[in-house]
Amino acid sequence: MTLSTLIVRRVLQAPLILLVIYTLTLFLAWQIPGSPLDNPEGRRPPPEVQRAMEAQYKLDSFWGFYTSYLDNATGVKWVRETLTGEAAERAKEAEAAGRPAPIRHVFDLGPSLQYEDWRVNEILAASLPVSVVLGASAILIALLVGTVAGVVGAVRPGSVADVGTLVVALVGVSLPSFVIGTALLLIGPVMLGIGSIAKWGQVQDIFLPAVTLSLPFAAYIARLLRMGLIDVLGQDFIRTARAKGVSGSGVLLRHAMKNAFLPVLSYLGPATALAMTGSFVVERVFTVPGMGQHFVNGVLNKDLFLIIGVVMVFATLLIAFNLAVDVLYRWVDPRIE
Amino acid sequence: MWKFLLPIAALLAVLAGAVVSDGPGPKADVVFLNRGDVNTLDVQRMSWMQDFRVAIAIYEGLVRTDVFSREFAKVPGVAERWEVSEDGRTWTFHLRSNAKWSNGAPLTAQDFVYSWRRAMLPDLVGDYAKLFTLIDGGKAFYDWRTEAIKAFTAQGQGRPRPAEAEALWKATLAKFDELVALKATDERTLVMRTVRRLPYWLDILAFEAFFPVYGPEVDRWQSVDPVTGKLEFESGWTKPPNLVSNGKFKVTQWRFKRDMRLERNTHYWNQADIHVDSILLPSVGDPNAAVLSFQTGTVDWLSDVVPDYRSDLLRAKREYQAEHKALYDSLVAQGLDPVAIDRRMPRDPRQNIHSFPAFGTYFYNINCSPRLNDGRVNPFADPRVRRAFAMAVDRRNIAENVRRSGERPATELIPPGSMPGYTSPKGVGFDPEGAAKLLAEAGFAGGQGLPVIEVLFNRDGGHDVIAQAIKRDWEQYLGVSVRLDMKEIKVFRNDLQNHNFMVARAGWFGDYGDPTTFLEINRTGDGNNDRRYSSERFDGLLDRADAESDPAKRMEILAEAERVLVAEDLPLIPIFHYSLVMMFDPHRISGVSPHPRQKQNVSLLDVLGDGKGADRAKEMPPRAVGAASGAEGTGGKGAVQ
Repeated sequence: MTLSTLIVRRVLQAPLILLVIYTLTLFLAWQIPGSPLDNPEGRRPPPEVQRAMEAQYKLDSFWGFYTSYLDNATGVKWVRETLTGEAAERAKEAEAAGRPAPIRHVFDLGPSLQYEDWRVNEILAASLPVSVVLGASAILIALLVGTVAGVVGAVRPGSVADVGTLVVALVGVSLPSFVIGTALLLIGPVMLGIGSIAKWGQVQDIFLPAVTLSLPFAAYIARLLRMGLIDVLGQDFIRTARAKGVSGSGVLLRHAMKNAFLPVLSYLGPATALAMTGSFVVERVFTVPGMGQHFVNGVLNKDLFLIIGVVMVFATLLIAFNLAVDVLYRWVDPRIE
Repeated sequence: MWKFLLPIAALLAVLAGAVVSDGPGPKADVVFLNRGDVNTLDVQRMSWMQDFRVAIAIYEGLVRTDVFSREFAKVPGVAERWEVSEDGRTWTFHLRSNAKWSNGAPLTAQDFVYSWRRAMLPDLVGDYAKLFTLIDGGKAFYDWRTEAIKAFTAQGQGRPRPAEAEALWKATLAKFDELVALKATDERTLVMRTVRRLPYWLDILAFEAFFPVYGPEVDRWQSVDPVTGKLEFESGWTKPPNLVSNGKFKVTQWRFKRDMRLERNTHYWNQADIHVDSILLPSVGDPNAAVLSFQTGTVDWLSDVVPDYRSDLLRAKREYQAEHKALYDSLVAQGLDPVAIDRRMPRDPRQNIHSFPAFGTYFYNINCSPRLNDGRVNPFADPRVRRAFAMAVDRRNIAENVRRSGERPATELIPPGSMPGYTSPKGVGFDPEGAAKLLAEAGFAGGQGLPVIEVLFNRDGGHDVIAQAIKRDWEQYLGVSVRLDMKEIKVFRNDLQNHNFMVARAGWFGDYGDPTTFLEINRTGDGNNDRRYSSERFDGLLDRADAESDPAKRMEILAEAERVLVAEDLPLIPIFHYSLVMMFDPHRISGVSPHPRQKQNVSLLDVLGDGKGADRAKEMPPRAVGAASGAEGTGGKGAVQ
């Protein structure tokens, strides 16, 4: 399969995968108890008003919601209303009545049922960039720390340095991020005055949450790389390279690394997607206005539009990064089919 | 190897771009951390306390509440003066000529008609639509519109009919003018007639739902649905740069879950009454981080301190006051408000925490229906059983040892001293022996014959520890066995709404300065009567109060109604009156009101000694020593978590 067929095939598959994910997500979210329209303050509108609202958002019928969401989100409705002239007619009538033409959205992911003044499109537009920045920083830190730790461990297995990195990696994987995050928050901004609390946008605001988010990824990368390197360093072609007089670092960088890094590369795809869609805990501890909180809040509030919105973004990122990794793979090592 | 560096370089480029493009905004004069993220800036749809707090800074109604006056006085807002007719029902408001919108457009009486009409539409689903039915014809209009939409939807059978839908909207506007006694007789005169004499009408007018919105912009974001004929609303107009408002501040930035920035509205009619140029409202979800951000100086006023250790901070403050006992006692004796006292004492970081009594009550709902949802006979249908359970709750213990943040134990529903001219009746208090006797009288001696008592409450918010204390009381004093039933908030609300509970935790904050704001929720069939309490006597008293024209007599009738609730029938067990715990440096920040109604007017904020605004601390007038506290005015609804 050539590179272009691979890309074309994956891109064609993507809508189908997304449709399946959409169906499953909506089915599960529909089962959450309670009404998304509950006022969390405890006051409720009269029952007939509640019913009218449910009808307006199609919350009274699963299939009604299912189809109307697809209609709006994919832009089909917009195209249809434009082609049939329905939109133009509405605009004409509104203007005849002395009011501005109704506002139309192309890819409309719906209103958030919880954050009344915001549409899901706006929420995603506000929070996705934040999560992408945080995720990218975390992955960078993880790569840097993980690679150094992995190489150190592989060059001298069993040494103090190796055991040290193993312990650190173990801590990174097993300590929950709310513990690490809170500790960093207390040590950094509170005790030493480094970094900031409840701010976002500058390097000093991003650093601590990025470090917290990176730890589990760094630990995993370190172990992957160490295993890969130890494996590769024991192989015949390395012995041959050494015998031919290639220096220690040359063997490591030019020959061993190239092979040992491939598993890390394939891990990076899903890892980046995961890091970039945010982490509820890290966002909460450091007050990062990212996307991760919406996975949890959306479910707690049964905010159907928001739940589907964030899940679809995550799914899209996952598909995109997996494709990117596959493309990179072939480019790094053309033998891979 | 260089090939591996490519993705890394790509990531770095993304980061650099993001950091450069996301530069920090200018520093704000004062940073206010609200109790939660603002949900909506559409005043006619608001129902959260944090939303009200912003609304009061960016909008202004006909009248305003002076939150620093003891009696919660009503002072002129957009209206510079008003008259009321002989029968107390027709009100005429004269708008000031220099009232303007934040875009410079003049504010007219027609703007109020536009906004209130909007609030009266069933299409909007405003939480406070009911308050507008106090205007004569409001109810008739609401009902007419509801029917008209129903008929239109049925006729169309799902077909879009844009022309007919627009015609219906036109007919609605005409119907409003025909039915509703709310008229702009000229640009600056607004006349309205209420359904009956309402002594608290000004209080209601100061309430946020009665603030005006800017029609030309709001109209851009609403459309008539061609299938149902309903008006559909989008909220694009509530976000800058679209948002046009008429208060002391305007919103210049609102970033979702990140921050909101308010700046001086240069078109506001009274510039001398604005004491800072900008207010930043950051968004901090984690209660711990909120306290840390105050302690590290990022935040100037933290309006709601939630973490458990707040009681330790409050204890430290009491210790500090004890260290300066002589001075403290003499200041208290002068009748000063608590923040004024703080300002006259030596500066100390322990002073920064404050606990103020709030206009709300924490109570337990008791299901009064004859049968439970599963068909069992409900023992709580007997008022004697309910009273016995109420008498077996040690509220002092809960307030002082469980909550520990300045809450006052409650035997009444309405916080005492929050309304002038109203004296709360005495409810049943803690009396374990009396409780056991009463339970025996009802046929359940020693708890024999009673099913396991299920107590429903939701996770988080500290409800579990309160429920544990109550369980211990009931098991110990009544001999019953109690099961605690903790549920997720959604399930909890669902159960409440379906009356699927025996006993459930609850809370209520008052909206305006009249006892009915607490009592109406117990009327038969009221949408918020989760208890299914139905008493002809109680309903009759409320009706009598409505009909009574003498204010003093009316208060007596309402007090009798409350007495029926808390001394005889007990559909709910009052536990304590809420308090709000805040953090700010009293020597630096002014404008936070310690008034027992706990209504904050954010637009009064002043940083003392910054050279801007009055730079003089705003304080309540000293109380005449020995006098009871009195108050009047409008309260906001608070989050009942």
